[in-house]
Amino acid sequence: MLKSVIEWTWVLAIFGIAALIGNWFGMDVLPWQAIPGMLVLMAVSLVGLMLEKALPFSMPAVGYIGILAILISLPGVPGSEYVVAWTSQIGILSLATPILAYAGISVGSNWADFRQLGFRSFLVAILVFLGTFLGSALIAEVILRWQGII
Amino acid sequence: MEKVELKSVIKDWRLHAIAFILVAITEAIGLFSISVGPGVILLLPMLYAFFLGLGLYFTPLISEKNAKNAEPLIILGVTLLIAKIGVTIGPQIEAIIAAGPALLLQELGNLGTIFLALPLAVLLGFRRESIGMTHSIAREPNVGLIVNKFGFSSPEGRGVMAVYIFGTVFGAVFLGLISGLLATATPLHPLSFAMASGVGSGSMMAAASGSLIGAYPELEEQIVAFAGASNLLSLSTGLYFSIFIGLPLTEKLYSIMMRRSERKIAKGGGPNA
Repeated sequence: MLKSVIEWTWVLAIFGIAALIGNWFGMDVLPWQAIPGMLVLMAVSLVGLMLEKALPFSMPAVGYIGILAILISLPGVPGSEYVVAWTSQIGILSLATPILAYAGISVGSNWADFRQLGFRSFLVAILVFLGTFLGSALIAEVILRWQGII
Repeated sequence: MEKVELKSVIKDWRLHAIAFILVAITEAIGLFSISVGPGVILLLPMLYAFFLGLGLYFTPLISEKNAKNAEPLIILGVTLLIAKIGVTIGPQIEAIIAAGPALLLQELGNLGTIFLALPLAVLLGFRRESIGMTHSIAREPNVGLIVNKFGFSSPEGRGVMAVYIFGTVFGAVFLGLISGLLATATPLHPLSFAMASGVGSGSMMAAASGSLIGAYPELEEQIVAFAGASNLLSLSTGLYFSIFIGLPLTEKLYSIMMRRSERKIAKGGGPNA
């Protein structure tokens, strides 16, 4: 476990540096202003990863991480104002860019599989978006009518 | 995640240096938006980063080993992204509670994706990819869930990334186009479509609700309020909806469909018979 935690910390730190660079170039936030927020996010991720390993439930680490992050940023929770202020220095897109950069490098080795997805996956994706949009609109219509709002 | 030794991943400085440079260049270029009718195609730094990274794989700069080493960075990077989404939701909790039961129940509309898209995906010949593709609209938390559960190089991971890439490039313009069209062409109320606009992505919500406002300017304030609240809810509950309902249901439906087609083949009636 300790070996894993140390290695996770290193990988998170490397990723964090990439995100801080992106945050600097993209959002004009100097890296040292964003470091406290990045450390908070790293700590939350580490705790979530540890919980996934330590607890018997089949919840993935991202589940624990989401709950934990919401809890420590709730109004009234001690220290939450610091959590919110520090992490607000890091843009969501600044985290997404390095993920996609590494993903681009990584998918190269699966490129043949990706190409096979091709046009068919385009069709499926269109129905994926249409399905959510229409499904939500239909249910909203029923309930809003029932409530007498429309 | 245990497939590659993390120690060698950490020491792969060529990979990290290239990633740092990619991020710096693409973030410095910044965002472009191309107007297409009522919506926009958003070109974001992350898209350039993805395609530049992919291009580098085919140059001597990136080896097969570097590409393999990139995978743990994606998985752990996604955990940081989920943490960031979490701390964005916490402060908004009161607004979410006030938004009410209608908002909550229309989240179930996301299941429309599974019922509409999963049969098509299986029909088009996708196998386990279809689970990643159709369990949700493949936004960041859903990608995180699939990558976390199945791995990035799994068929499910490829499926969710395909829809994710589609959504990132065309999601906003597609929803922008169909929301105006559907609201004017169907008997459903524009406010129902306003709630549906909150799919959990800011740019998609903006495009979808924007074209509703274009069609019904007198409802502008209500449309914005409903779409924004629904988007908050999708952001905060989308992941757990996928974990507990969307993904299990997709896997269940998938196994039923596969069993049925196997039985058909066993009977001697092949797919073309």
